[in-house]
Amino acid sequence: MSGVVKGLPGTWADTHRGTAQPGQPGMMDARDRVTGKVDYVINMTLPGMLHAMVLRSTAPAARIVRIDTEKARQVPGVVTVLTGRDIVSRTDVRSHFGPVFRDQPVLAVDRVRFVGEAVVAVAAVDRDAARAALDLVEVEYEELPPVFTFDEALAEDAALVHPEPPRAGATFADIIVHSQAGSNVCNSFTLRKGNIDEGFAQADHVFEDTFTCPAVQHVPLETHCTVADARTSDIVVHTTSQIPFMVRSQLAEVFNLPASRVRVVVHTLGGGYGGKCYPNTEPLTAMLSFVSGRPVKLHLTREEEFTAITRHAMRITLKTGLRADGKVIARKSTCHFNTGAYADIGPRLIKMGGIGTGGPMSIPHVWIDSYAVYTNLPPAGAYRGYGVSQAAWAYETQIEMIAQRLGRDPYELRKKNLLVNGETNATGEIMDDSHWHELLDEVAGKIGWTWPQVPQRIGNKVRAKGLSCIIKGTVTPSASTSMVKMNEDGSLNVMTSSVEMGQGLQTAMAILAAERLSMPVGKVLVSTPDTAFTPYDQQTSSSRSTHSMGMAVTRACGGIADQLLAQASEALEIAVADLELRDGKVQAKGAPDKSVGYAALVQRQKGGNLLATGEYITGGGLDPVTGQGKAAVHWHQAAGAAEVEVDLETGKVDVIAYEAAVYAGRVVNPVQAELQAEGNLAFGLGHALFEEMVYDNGQLQNGNLGDYMICSFEDMPERVGVSTLEEPVLNEIHGIGETGLPPVMPAIGNAVFHATGVRITDAPITAEKVLRGLRQLETARLAAAAVMAAAGTGTAR
Amino acid sequence: MTDRRAQGEVTATEDGRLAIPAMLNGRQTTLVARPWHTLLETLRDQEGLYGVREGCGVGMCGACTVMLDGEPVSSCLVLAPQVAGREIRTVEGLAAPDGTLSDLQQAFIDHTAFQCSYCTSGFLITAERLAEEHPDASREEIRHYLAGNLCRCGSYVKILDAVADLLERRRAGRTAD
Repeated sequence: MSGVVKGLPGTWADTHRGTAQPGQPGMMDARDRVTGKVDYVINMTLPGMLHAMVLRSTAPAARIVRIDTEKARQVPGVVTVLTGRDIVSRTDVRSHFGPVFRDQPVLAVDRVRFVGEAVVAVAAVDRDAARAALDLVEVEYEELPPVFTFDEALAEDAALVHPEPPRAGATFADIIVHSQAGSNVCNSFTLRKGNIDEGFAQADHVFEDTFTCPAVQHVPLETHCTVADARTSDIVVHTTSQIPFMVRSQLAEVFNLPASRVRVVVHTLGGGYGGKCYPNTEPLTAMLSFVSGRPVKLHLTREEEFTAITRHAMRITLKTGLRADGKVIARKSTCHFNTGAYADIGPRLIKMGGIGTGGPMSIPHVWIDSYAVYTNLPPAGAYRGYGVSQAAWAYETQIEMIAQRLGRDPYELRKKNLLVNGETNATGEIMDDSHWHELLDEVAGKIGWTWPQVPQRIGNKVRAKGLSCIIKGTVTPSASTSMVKMNEDGSLNVMTSSVEMGQGLQTAMAILAAERLSMPVGKVLVSTPDTAFTPYDQQTSSSRSTHSMGMAVTRACGGIADQLLAQASEALEIAVADLELRDGKVQAKGAPDKSVGYAALVQRQKGGNLLATGEYITGGGLDPVTGQGKAAVHWHQAAGAAEVEVDLETGKVDVIAYEAAVYAGRVVNPVQAELQAEGNLAFGLGHALFEEMVYDNGQLQNGNLGDYMICSFEDMPERVGVSTLEEPVLNEIHGIGETGLPPVMPAIGNAVFHATGVRITDAPITAEKVLRGLRQLETARLAAAAVMAAAGTGTAR
Repeated sequence: MTDRRAQGEVTATEDGRLAIPAMLNGRQTTLVARPWHTLLETLRDQEGLYGVREGCGVGMCGACTVMLDGEPVSSCLVLAPQVAGREIRTVEGLAAPDGTLSDLQQAFIDHTAFQCSYCTSGFLITAERLAEEHPDASREEIRHYLAGNLCRCGSYVKILDAVADLLERRRAGRTAD
């Protein structure tokens, strides 16, 4: 891509096809999905397999004084009872893991750091025996002072979650580690663009506001599950993972094995949303199998899932300076992300979340400080949106607060600032494929945005609309590789390590392979990951797979195409340049009667099958101090518009309409593109209105689906519109798995403000907060009226 | 013994478990379980009916929904002995014996009314009962009826389209008759 493409407009894709098209299925394995046949890991059993259960910490911060497992070991059917001390005392394994810092023990060693941490594990012949044994384990704790909030954790004399600095291991190329020994700062990220002091000096208006989001959970309906088999000198793990190669490298490290001897197999996931990225149940399950000499299965309960991994609670303070004409020229953001007791991928997430606060605007002076902070809460890690949902909640709420203070139309204020080609974003990258204006215009038009927003009153309810527009990066640098083989009948196996988790990965890859090789989609089978057999893929996250693995698969299929053409050239005695692939045959251009089918060409080659590989590797990286460089191979772009109805008597908010617009570059599977956008709405709606992990002294109060609400059928708006923007000249696939999520929360919050005048800056926007806001407005109105009356200048209304 | 089972009576097995006679997807069977085992775990562990899936364990998400004597229930809240002498239908029993999918299953495929599909079995069972009970349900009534089934991927729009389309197809079929 280059400046040549400047100003290229997109075209709106026809995603509203209603039903799957012939030859382009919504899902390749749709039949299995409606007959209960999907092969999730939870279905798996192995001969002699034991069932594991885990005793978890009841204290947020404590020294383990004593563990008595004697009675538990006596329970009939119990094979292994394991403690952290048992693991540390072995010389053949390592006791800690973690994708950036090796800070998380397989089982707590001498100390617990959050309520829900694994302390003792039991493996038994059935769950009844395991449960009975857990009841007989005795653990004595000596409680230590815990830290939960940013203020507690960052206080001068704060108790340290990790008194010994955690060991950093080999990690991803893009992660910059700036930990601060002797504090609870796990990692920090800085970005310096332009001169922030100069920027504020030039500004006519400067506003500073603080925004918060609570921790939320991914709530995949399939909780984490691992079946591990370490009976032989190799380790085989079937698991719910979005990043099988990370699980492999971590297990190889824990068990001191070459990576080749650790085999990680991933089945179709029952939802991931980022919650199944980094090692979780795998090290413990493998350890139990290693120690017991039997296959072991660990399947988390819903309650355990809630504290297995979470989304970072965040606090962001934005100081934004504008010129009188509305142009934003300076922004300083201070971002704190609560990463919980163990770092997981927090050290990387704070980078994308921090950069995210720059927003889809060209601001010449930007200063970002972003921190991951250790606390005595469950670990936080990757989550759909990857910090950008929280960032967008801050900047897309603040831009509206600024518009309100300046008496401007928030749509126009955004239009004044949205990135266009040739401008630079926060990381200093020159934009060359910008569509923010088109996206915002699309949703504003479809929702029927007008200014000023006059709330529509219907009885005790008021309605109004709100907008938002976001930018999000994708992990860079990154790598995807694939291998394809064409069989003797002309059918195709595609081997990738990308994970099918409902996003339609396998179907998208089949469509791209079939397209490159001009063959029916039904003759293509796309594998699930098995690290012993399928080639490397960095991660199924960051909305990168259709783009990255799509490129790798297309390139591998190009290798097959070359072989088919070479064989056909010999067979037909026609130059390769005069041949083309068409409907399962190689044929002479302009002379379709001269052709030979793929099956015959594979057989002619006499190798049994045709083999080819393809790879897609991106480069980039940021300066460790200024945060300038290349943060993303391309930028994800989306806008959202919500119409809400607020009950003035109860404060309850209903979203009655939502319009989503995302830039897809090129849509591979229209129905799946639409499902991703609709799913993002369901996700974001919950975050906007009710999702929140509520703690009392570190103890989760709502760790079940009775008390923790997720979006149900009746929460969804009656009217949902999805617009997907394509750009046919570049024709580059952009990820959309997360892209539509960050706009949802602020669009709803902004609509609530326009309906009621109540501005909520601490998500979620619960009925209680709205009602309190309405009462405060009413009190203020009455007070003002009283003052006016007292002054004798007021006129009663 | 046979007589007592035919009458739907629970008996004890030699190892102290319970033998629970029930009709399962159209065939007479005997479930074997401890008194505290749920129908959910018994169907999965013993009968291999993996289309029945645990989501929450407290009857809130609907992923484990099965038909018990024609009514949708959360199988995580039903103890296995409670189904003695009763009729259970799971997602595995929706298609015809020759494998032909039901019109409901086909409607879900036509609209791609699923993403990860973990919740799909439960939605299908609840929607099947909805179609029997309220063949003329409006879109609003469908939303309300299905509100006890959660889909975290958020395929609700497509599920609504699929169920509305099914009711439409069945109405058209009735009119044609």
